[in-house]
Amino acid sequence: MNALVTTERPTAVAKLAEIQQFLTFALGSEMFAVGTLSVKEIIEYGHLTEVPMMPNFIRGVINLRGAVVPVVDLGARFGRGETQVTRRTCIVIIEVPSGEEKQDIGVVVDAVSEVLEIPATEIEPPPAFGAKIRTDFIHGMGKVNGKFVILLDVGKVLSVEEISTLASVAGQGHQADAGRVAIQ
Amino acid sequence: MNLDEALKTFIIESRELLEQMEEALLRIEQEPDDAEVVNAIFRAAHTIKGSAGLFGLEYVVAFTHVAESVLDKVRSGELRVDADLIALLLESRDHIGVLVDHAAEGEEPGDATNQHGGELITRLNAYLGHQAEAKPAGMPVEHEHKFEKEGGGRVATDNWHISLRFGPDLLCNGMDPLAFIRYLETLGEIVNVVTLTEAIPALSEIDPESCYLGFEISFQSNADKAAIEGVFEFVREDSQIAIMPPHSKAYEYLKLIQDLPEQEMRLGEILVKCGTLTRAELENTLREQAQNSEHPPRPIGEVLVEKHIVQATVVEAALEKQKQVKESKSAEASLIRVDAEKLDQLINLVGELTIAGAGASLAAQRSGIPELQEATATMSRLVEEVRDSALTLRMVQIGGTFNRFQRVVRDVSKELGKDIRLEISGAETELDKTVVEKIGDPLTHLVRNSMDHGIEPAEVRVANGKPAHGSLKLNAYHDSGSIVIEVIDDGGGLKKDRILMKAIERGLVQPDANLSDKEIFNLIFEPGFSTADAISNLSGRGVGMDVVKRNIMALRGTVDLDSVEGQGTTVSIRLPLTLAIIDGFLVSVGKSSFVIPLDLVVECIELSDEDRSAAGERNYLSLRGQVLPYLRLRDQFDIEGDRVRRENVVVVQYGNARAGLVVDTLQGEFQTVIKPLGRIFSHINGIGGSTILGSGEVALILDVPRLVQQVSSKGERSMFEA
Repeated sequence: MNALVTTERPTAVAKLAEIQQFLTFALGSEMFAVGTLSVKEIIEYGHLTEVPMMPNFIRGVINLRGAVVPVVDLGARFGRGETQVTRRTCIVIIEVPSGEEKQDIGVVVDAVSEVLEIPATEIEPPPAFGAKIRTDFIHGMGKVNGKFVILLDVGKVLSVEEISTLASVAGQGHQADAGRVAIQ
Repeated sequence: MNLDEALKTFIIESRELLEQMEEALLRIEQEPDDAEVVNAIFRAAHTIKGSAGLFGLEYVVAFTHVAESVLDKVRSGELRVDADLIALLLESRDHIGVLVDHAAEGEEPGDATNQHGGELITRLNAYLGHQAEAKPAGMPVEHEHKFEKEGGGRVATDNWHISLRFGPDLLCNGMDPLAFIRYLETLGEIVNVVTLTEAIPALSEIDPESCYLGFEISFQSNADKAAIEGVFEFVREDSQIAIMPPHSKAYEYLKLIQDLPEQEMRLGEILVKCGTLTRAELENTLREQAQNSEHPPRPIGEVLVEKHIVQATVVEAALEKQKQVKESKSAEASLIRVDAEKLDQLINLVGELTIAGAGASLAAQRSGIPELQEATATMSRLVEEVRDSALTLRMVQIGGTFNRFQRVVRDVSKELGKDIRLEISGAETELDKTVVEKIGDPLTHLVRNSMDHGIEPAEVRVANGKPAHGSLKLNAYHDSGSIVIEVIDDGGGLKKDRILMKAIERGLVQPDANLSDKEIFNLIFEPGFSTADAISNLSGRGVGMDVVKRNIMALRGTVDLDSVEGQGTTVSIRLPLTLAIIDGFLVSVGKSSFVIPLDLVVECIELSDEDRSAAGERNYLSLRGQVLPYLRLRDQFDIEGDRVRRENVVVVQYGNARAGLVVDTLQGEFQTVIKPLGRIFSHINGIGGSTILGSGEVALILDVPRLVQQVSSKGERSMFEA
């Protein structure tokens, strides 16, 4: 795939060539995309084990051929409420750099659509506001057939650091609640 | 295998040998007459020297050589071992260790190291009896066996002649021909060397990984034959090596010429070229050969002795040595060194297999096909066996770790001026290698603590009617799926009242708290106790004990302490046998499944209607007259769904604490492969990891101590706040 891209645009620098293919998916009525190089696989939604005392955007963990992989609800992560599971709901397994290592994280999406090639010239910088998700989550805005697709920065959206901090805060908050409940 | 890997192997082996050497040195202190132990020490030093030479590690060779010479004297009975000599040899051993570390880092030792080495060499030389004319390090001891002279028939040269034909696998075995020649130079001067390239095949047939070279070397040295032979110790088996002493008889050269693969004339020429033989000698020799062609072949050793070229004892020694080498080779053959990573990979795969096997059984049961069920039952049994034997691969005896404490105890007791003896029992008890590696530090801490603060000075001991020498015991045994390691001292014990006082002072316990003796002793594991220097006049055991406890808990272990004032203290560490797999007890709440480590589970009871209805007011029940506080996993973890009609209580015990966990259903025991949850969940409280069930679903493993601790501290705090 890379070879094809480079022959088409021989002058393109490697970095741009790398992120020119995007996997697009739907979340609610909106289209999002992530670079295909960070996508490991797409699996059917199911067999999810909830982890207690976690913020609502951490759906739980799944068994991915023997490895335990956390699953994040992207809708909830963007503050739009939990994603409703339908027949087309998928989990996209994304490889996220975390310090020296790489961590696999699954994200719940409403439906996976297609792999698109978006040339760098067709990518706009993120708007200052108006996208209704955190600006730093957005890598850029891709123009496809006259419509915009939000290209996500997976390193930010799925930042292991940030998620684990949020998770620990949620756990403590929950604990305090539980303690109070028990005493009442 | 490249040279780097060979060097790595050398480093690993040297460290192992040094460990054996230390152990043997400490043993010799008890039994100075055990020849086998002395031999072991000598062999260790000798092997390190030999291998170091191969890698051109001159600084290791030079130093080890002096130590080896002293050991040789001990071995031959010229020197008797005493405490001073052992201390010196131990120091030398440590120094060799430092030098090996330098080799591992790939750097030359610094000035400080060299100076220390120099001092040690001076002290070692004192034992060799030539303190004044201390030779430069690395200079071999003078040849002690004089050859008997015999007129006629000998060649004129006064050089050794060495004939080398390396085996084809030399390079594959990680050896470099040049290294041997370089090392040979440390024993003397190479007068001449002729490289034989005849064996090299045509270019198209050359195997670049094979060695085709041979060498004829004329060598000037004062070293004895054994030393020169030692140079080639590592290739002796595969290579053809002939070493001829100076002034050997022409007959010997003849024999050499006959034995070597090259054509006779050509070889003769080489010997002449090499300076070993003169032209006239060669001609004589060949003529003699023509006459004596029916000379019956005889064992070379016999011939040598007969001709008074070497003494009978030397031949015997050589034969003995050969035998030893063969024996150690065969012992090595039964052990394989395996990359730990490969082993981990295997264990992981076996874990997968276990899970997949459970899944298959489940499906078979549902299918209702008897043949399938039978097949999966057989498979499950096999998988279980495979799993068990895979796990034992990682098991090592704890003895190795225990033995290291001989040295610690020896050094620390010298340092403290106390006479303390270490007793070891249960050294053959096996546990997982990763656990063994991590238990060393906490154990060292406990041992040092016991020696420093537990065991009293001799005069106090005698005054209290105890033997003057203190004793420290390390013990290990298996106990229902875990291993218990005990550190026992016969010292003064802990002073209960003062610990309690201190704890109240620090606010760790309420003044009116009613604590058992054990609970009081265990207070010294509290973090609050570690910083106090006032504790040292009490017992001093508090220093860093919280760290010890944390390290042990990180291994999913527990630590417990028992003490009788005036009689001593026992610290018991209980560890799981392996970190990869635990016996679990599966329970479920709503749709979620949880695993409770089985060794914490005491019993399971049904939650009675009475307790259920009273649950709004209190969260404890009466377990045969005793109060048992409990917590509901459903509430604790906010699990959706209504309470089921019949709830169960799993009674868990850890350390001295007991608690009940209320769950919906009990699913029973099962063996589980622990899967880490990853960094996202690193702060999660009350959950220790996860595992994969036969159905393929993930179940969470409860961290019971933290879960209960959390609930209780929260509960109390809220109560105070209210």
